[in-house]
Amino acid sequence: MTRTWQRWLPALVVPTLIGAGALVNASQAGATVDLPDRTAAQVLAMIGESSVDALSGTLEQTSDLGLPELPTEATGAGGGTGTGGAALELLTGSHTARVYLDGPSRLRVQVLDTLAERDAIRNEREIWLYSSADNAATHIVAPADQAPADESADRTTDEQTMPGHVGTPAEVAEELLAAIDPSTRVTVGTDTVVAGRSAYELVLTPRTTQTLVGSVSIAVDSETGLPLSVAVTARGQDEPAFRIAFTQIDLSTPPAARFEFTPPPGATVTELVPDLPSAIPESGIPGSTTLLGIGRPTVSGSGWDAVVEMPLGLAATVLTDSPLLEQLTHATAGGRVLESALITVLVTDDGRILVGPVPPERLLAAAGTR
Amino acid sequence: MPSDLVVRPARPAAGWALLSSELSVLFRRRRTWAMLAALAAIPILIAVAVRLSSSPPAAGEGPPFLDRVTQNGLFVGITALVVSIPLFLPLTVGVVAGDTIAGEASLGTLRYLLVGPAGRVRLLFVKYAGAAAFCLAATMTVMLAGALIGAALFPVGPVTLLSGDTVAVAESAVRALLVAAYVTVSLLGLSAIGLFISTLTEVPVGAMAATIVLSVVAQVLDSLSQLDWLHPWLFSHYWLGFADLLRQPISWASFGDNAALQAAYVLVFGALAYGRFVTKDVLT
Repeated sequence: MTRTWQRWLPALVVPTLIGAGALVNASQAGATVDLPDRTAAQVLAMIGESSVDALSGTLEQTSDLGLPELPTEATGAGGGTGTGGAALELLTGSHTARVYLDGPSRLRVQVLDTLAERDAIRNEREIWLYSSADNAATHIVAPADQAPADESADRTTDEQTMPGHVGTPAEVAEELLAAIDPSTRVTVGTDTVVAGRSAYELVLTPRTTQTLVGSVSIAVDSETGLPLSVAVTARGQDEPAFRIAFTQIDLSTPPAARFEFTPPPGATVTELVPDLPSAIPESGIPGSTTLLGIGRPTVSGSGWDAVVEMPLGLAATVLTDSPLLEQLTHATAGGRVLESALITVLVTDDGRILVGPVPPERLLAAAGTR
Repeated sequence: MPSDLVVRPARPAAGWALLSSELSVLFRRRRTWAMLAALAAIPILIAVAVRLSSSPPAAGEGPPFLDRVTQNGLFVGITALVVSIPLFLPLTVGVVAGDTIAGEASLGTLRYLLVGPAGRVRLLFVKYAGAAAFCLAATMTVMLAGALIGAALFPVGPVTLLSGDTVAVAESAVRALLVAAYVTVSLLGLSAIGLFISTLTEVPVGAMAATIVLSVVAQVLDSLSQLDWLHPWLFSHYWLGFADLLRQPISWASFGDNAALQAAYVLVFGALAYGRFVTKDVLT
């Protein structure tokens, strides 16, 4: 009898050991470290002083917005739903992407899908978009004057916030904190480890209760000041509703070949000429928004409970006729409401769209006051 | 391949003799050859169908990579693997793994193979090694048949990876071998499950069916998003992750995750099979 028992021992011990190993592994992922204490202003200044201009890493994005599960055909990248479908697709489920960065003008992003991949490559003025699922490439040559603007965009944030005065990152951080203090409490949370690097956690908590956003937490690398993860938690929830984080990061310069792209033989290549500086390549015809009669957005409220309102014009009928919208929204007095953990969208019957990180009642009130 | 495995240099130790006899029995069976032939037929059917059809498949049509086949015959093997991973490969592996112990038990040959408790452990190892060798043979059959028929019917040239970069034929052959290795590793967990189920019964068909049903159940569970906490623990979760080897640069993360997961399955079900088999009364 004892011998029988002994022989079943491995069958008990092995699963226990593996389970324990998996648990230890999981707990190490969220391991805490003890970094020298810093104030919120100091951590903000670290972001400003950050000098990382080359990296290769893996980003993981997860969304749990409480939206109903969508059929993959409706949200797939190659689907006929266009930009709306692609945007919705990013809001549901999770994605893994690899990012390569070398200086301000060379970037490659690879979104790793199952048995497929979507690439965006920028090499100086050359921009390529490639999707392996439909073997299609889009080529854009950015206007010459745009490149230097982009180049300095990161560096000049401090100049933009305070025209005519260039402060040190520390000063800027102090002033920025003072500016947002009436609406937001900024604290330094517990030190964490993200992608194997120790990081300070900057937590932004809205002071108003009129918003769906519970808190925004940013992990800031303790060595370089590079933000390693951003998580948005909805009010009253423990798990983040939206999170994007590095799972692996390497700060050495990626090989130059990573940014060179030649469309593969057999691929369909589309040349896009951007005539608007802010043309979004995916939207197809630049200026289509004006064709559809979409007006200028107006913002009511400020800070965390701001509501953006936009007359939709013709686009409203396109939206309300979409079966996807039917599936996502529910009818309410005066329109249709899409509710998610972080964002509420109201499409009114008279052709306006209201968006805000607020409960639906506030959107309805904002729609009614106009 | 199969013949290489049979003529493995045999040391005088009884374990190696047992292994080489197991492999020669396995790869001499008509059933094994029939299954390998059926697997080889998959890429051949795909290639011939694409070759004979009047219009080449458009991008995004049919199974992944199908539209690449007409441009480059080397994709036939990959397309065939994508097609055979959900059902055909688990089916054949389930037959071999489910037959390991139960087959000998039903034929009444099991008691002759066993001398003492140490003999039982050795027999388990040898049986599992045989099943693992079949996993490799099955995957390589699909890959090689695909490469050969693709090279015969379509042009062969630089291969376009998922990232849009192209690599030369030589590197694409290395990538294809890596993919075959990945798929072989993916099937090891299922083989261990089959080995364990095979120790539970003396009816080999029952063990085979149970193993195949489990592989289907795991894939169904993997497609239910409500159970996403369970997904990383399902042995079929990384089965299609071999695509990460077709990116530029290669993403090794899923290879590592898959290998770790399969190793855990092999250890757990190996231990269970040990517990069951060494305490089993095979003599009556």
